[in-house]
Amino acid sequence: MDYPTLLAQATVNGLVIGTMYMLMAVGFTLVFGIMRVVNFAHGEFYMLGTFVAFFTYAQWELPFIVALAAAALCIGILGALVERAVIQPFRTDELSGMIATLAVSVIIQNGAVLAWGPTPRSMPNVIDGVLTIGPFTFPWSRLLVIAAAALIFAAFWFFIQRTRIGRAMRAVAQDTETALIQGIRVNTIYPIAFGMSVALAALAGALMAPIFSVSPFVGLTPMLKAFVVVILGGLGSVPGAVVGGLLLGLIESFTATLFGSLVADILQLLLVILILLVRPWGLLGQKEA
Amino acid sequence: MSRKTLGYAAAAAGLVLAIAVPQLTANQFYLHLANLALLNAIFAMSLGLIAAVGQLSLGHAAFAAIGAYLSALGAMQLKIPPILGIVLAGLVTGLLAAALGRVILRLRGVYFVLVTFLVGQVCTLVALNWESVTRGANGLVGIPPIRVFDQALGSRAYFYYAALTAFATVFVFIWALMRSQYGRAFRSIAENIQLAESSGIDTSRYQVIAFALGSGIAGAAGAAMAHYIRYISPDTFTFHDSVAYITMLVVGGRQTLVGGVLGAAFLTPLPELLRGLEGVQHIIYGAILLGVLLFLPGGLASIGKRVLRRKKGVETPT
Amino acid sequence: MKRLLTAALLPAACAIAIPAAQAETLKIGVLATLSGAGTAWGMSMQGAADLAAEDVNGKGGLEVGGKKYKIEVVAYDDKYKASDALTAINRLAFDDRIKFVVGPVGSAPALAILPVSTENKVITMTMGFTPKALSPDYKYSFRPVLPSDVFSDPQIKWVVEKLGGKRIGGLFPNDESGQQVAAANEKAYEAVGAKFVAKEFFERERVDFVPLLTRVLAQKIDAFELDGNSPQTAGLLVKQLRELGFKGPIIRTGGDATADIVKIAGKEATENVYVHQPIDLSSPAIQQYTKRFEDKYKIPLNAFSPFFYANLQMLFEAMRKAGTVSDTDKIRDAMLALKDFDTVLGKVNWTGQAQWKSNQQLDAPFYVALIKNGAPVVVAKCTPAKCE
Repeated sequence: MDYPTLLAQATVNGLVIGTMYMLMAVGFTLVFGIMRVVNFAHGEFYMLGTFVAFFTYAQWELPFIVALAAAALCIGILGALVERAVIQPFRTDELSGMIATLAVSVIIQNGAVLAWGPTPRSMPNVIDGVLTIGPFTFPWSRLLVIAAAALIFAAFWFFIQRTRIGRAMRAVAQDTETALIQGIRVNTIYPIAFGMSVALAALAGALMAPIFSVSPFVGLTPMLKAFVVVILGGLGSVPGAVVGGLLLGLIESFTATLFGSLVADILQLLLVILILLVRPWGLLGQKEA
Repeated sequence: MSRKTLGYAAAAAGLVLAIAVPQLTANQFYLHLANLALLNAIFAMSLGLIAAVGQLSLGHAAFAAIGAYLSALGAMQLKIPPILGIVLAGLVTGLLAAALGRVILRLRGVYFVLVTFLVGQVCTLVALNWESVTRGANGLVGIPPIRVFDQALGSRAYFYYAALTAFATVFVFIWALMRSQYGRAFRSIAENIQLAESSGIDTSRYQVIAFALGSGIAGAAGAAMAHYIRYISPDTFTFHDSVAYITMLVVGGRQTLVGGVLGAAFLTPLPELLRGLEGVQHIIYGAILLGVLLFLPGGLASIGKRVLRRKKGVETPT
Repeated sequence: MKRLLTAALLPAACAIAIPAAQAETLKIGVLATLSGAGTAWGMSMQGAADLAAEDVNGKGGLEVGGKKYKIEVVAYDDKYKASDALTAINRLAFDDRIKFVVGPVGSAPALAILPVSTENKVITMTMGFTPKALSPDYKYSFRPVLPSDVFSDPQIKWVVEKLGGKRIGGLFPNDESGQQVAAANEKAYEAVGAKFVAKEFFERERVDFVPLLTRVLAQKIDAFELDGNSPQTAGLLVKQLRELGFKGPIIRTGGDATADIVKIAGKEATENVYVHQPIDLSSPAIQQYTKRFEDKYKIPLNAFSPFFYANLQMLFEAMRKAGTVSDTDKIRDAMLALKDFDTVLGKVNWTGQAQWKSNQQLDAPFYVALIKNGAPVVVAKCTPAKCE
């Protein structure tokens, strides 16, 4: 393979993982922006999304679009319930809330092992075959991820910008007290926001399930990446999560292709630590008072 | 009896009992668990020291790993006696933490948590990939046991006394520290850092001190663990261990020094009660953690206080 | 206070965990990974112990020295960690007073427990592939599964001679097995005139291999080596390699992964894939064992399981011959004296003197298969000396 081919492959691949990181990070950052909660269980909701997709698409052979809808809906509702039960009591205590999500993550992951066993499962591709343009080959299954993720994000953006609940969410994120005065019911906004956030993670999981694999342990990596992305883009900033996600995907793909895995991993961590130290509010985030 | 005398009496009774443990049980397995509980208590107490300035470290296991590797390598390559190695490992880890802390303690709250988490990831990567020194994923095999007066403390009973001494030392040290002007400064920083700053406390200095001391103690305890298990690899101290220390601290009680000890004493033998329920065991852990957070924010340590308070409430009218 | 708590809780713990011991019960320990990502391996070992116990108990018990013993399996989780394995072996040795342990799984737990098991004369059957798990210092450490340094030489020689490839590429996990396997493979390939032109390591958390595979393929390789990767990773690698347009042979030198490779990558992608088969899937004994295991646990059989079962068959025979269930020195000698012993794997022996100065490595035949239309077809039968 020559350099142009190598670079083209790296770009497409970077976009694929970049969009996955983006979906994970957008949800993660949304919850932080609105509720000031760092959700250590975020990856477990991704994992649950892969299982919903596995059962609906691979097992019951429903159309993939139904699998996506099921993942978003089931996991979204579950997320809202989790928020009400174990996150809401810690509204004023960031650290306790974070420890609570650690506990939730342990429970979900081991619950999944009990219910579905530890052995990874695999799913058939949604589309088979490759797209060949000149010397370049791109699997359709990967191109589909990019398109689907872009659509999902567009829908989310529309919701946040144009609907009443979306506007209320943004108001709460900006200033909870003012929002309260304006008559926004924070207690209903929080579960909805949390549910939406984990629904995005579940969608990412459902999209990636055919490409990667399905097991109770697949949540860790996407969560780690979501951390990296939100720090890169700025905790609480949705545009930051989009830019950060795509950027991280591309950086990772190029460094791994050109220099190998170790360089890619270490570079990422160092980049993030550096950002935290010189610009803790991230590339696109706002400096806190 | 005042609460103070009660406390001293309890401490003395506990110490006498602890010293007698190897005489009370011939079962080596119980001694092994006691050893692990003592080390875990040190980890939890040292994490509590960092929590005393209002910071939560998710990289505590990484400092334990640094100490463990330092002391193990020192003993294997440079023939440093393990006892000296453990102390040195604690000091070096503490200095490293101080240097790092000067930079990362500018961050607070979740930012600090995230950066300590990432520091932990970097440490694991280094241990895995710096093969010429750490032997990579294969780990260090055959780490020498602790020796005192040319007597190898390989046996569990000997190690027990060494661990008990270390535990008592750390306990008394942190207890004294928290009652000194340092402890007062720590508490005011945890309560309100802006207020502490404006009342003339050098907040960054005190935070660095707490972080360096806590991480240094963890490094020494990690080193002791390495000489006890006599094997260490990048898997020995991971993110999951950091979470385990946090769990012990929270379940035992974050506010008091006894809390970490109670948490370690309760959670270390717990898996042994749950043998045979392998899958459920972790879920029970998570549930206990969640339950304590929701219904007993002061942890196990606050049970005693609650009982005492209730008693007093009954006694006052008479 | 904490001492009190520990002292109060533990006897209670043991009372719950272990039913009152009967005079004629023989306890076998299992020390394996029963939670987390390594559970499939741990289950394969626990399954071997459970099934072996069922066999014996079904016949009314194991007759040794005129007494009949019912076998009871006591299983502890090591969470794939050295420190937890050490706790478990302490409990097995001192609390349960067990002398026979199936386990542990990984090299780290194996190395951590061996001093304790040796000191207490506990016979262990490990799945730790580290060369250090067998040594004259560890008199009671046995290994029923073949590590790659035993089989990679003959198998790689056979494959390279057949295919004639010179430029080999490979991707290995950056963990203990990956690091060991990569070194062993590289040596074996160089010994027969081939060369690793692209060898990459990745951290265990990595899920996307396309960037690394792109990098490997850029070296214009003739064949790709899959050894050292978990079955699922191996499947993903085959799938992604074919998607990137690689049509050359893919070789899996060690570990059973065929079922997962086919399941994940699909029939089309798995043509021209040469795999290591630790067991002969067409043998009736293996097929029967597979059925029993899968009926009981509802999970696919891991090919390592019958090796532990075979080792237990040998252990029971050795107890009968030695006429004792407690003197592990005699049992060890009787077990090592078994030659061409008939097990679920066929006839087996002991080997290992040359490599580790310890003749406690199980010696069983293994196979090379070519995947055709989604199923492995055995193309060569191997011994540690050669494949044909």
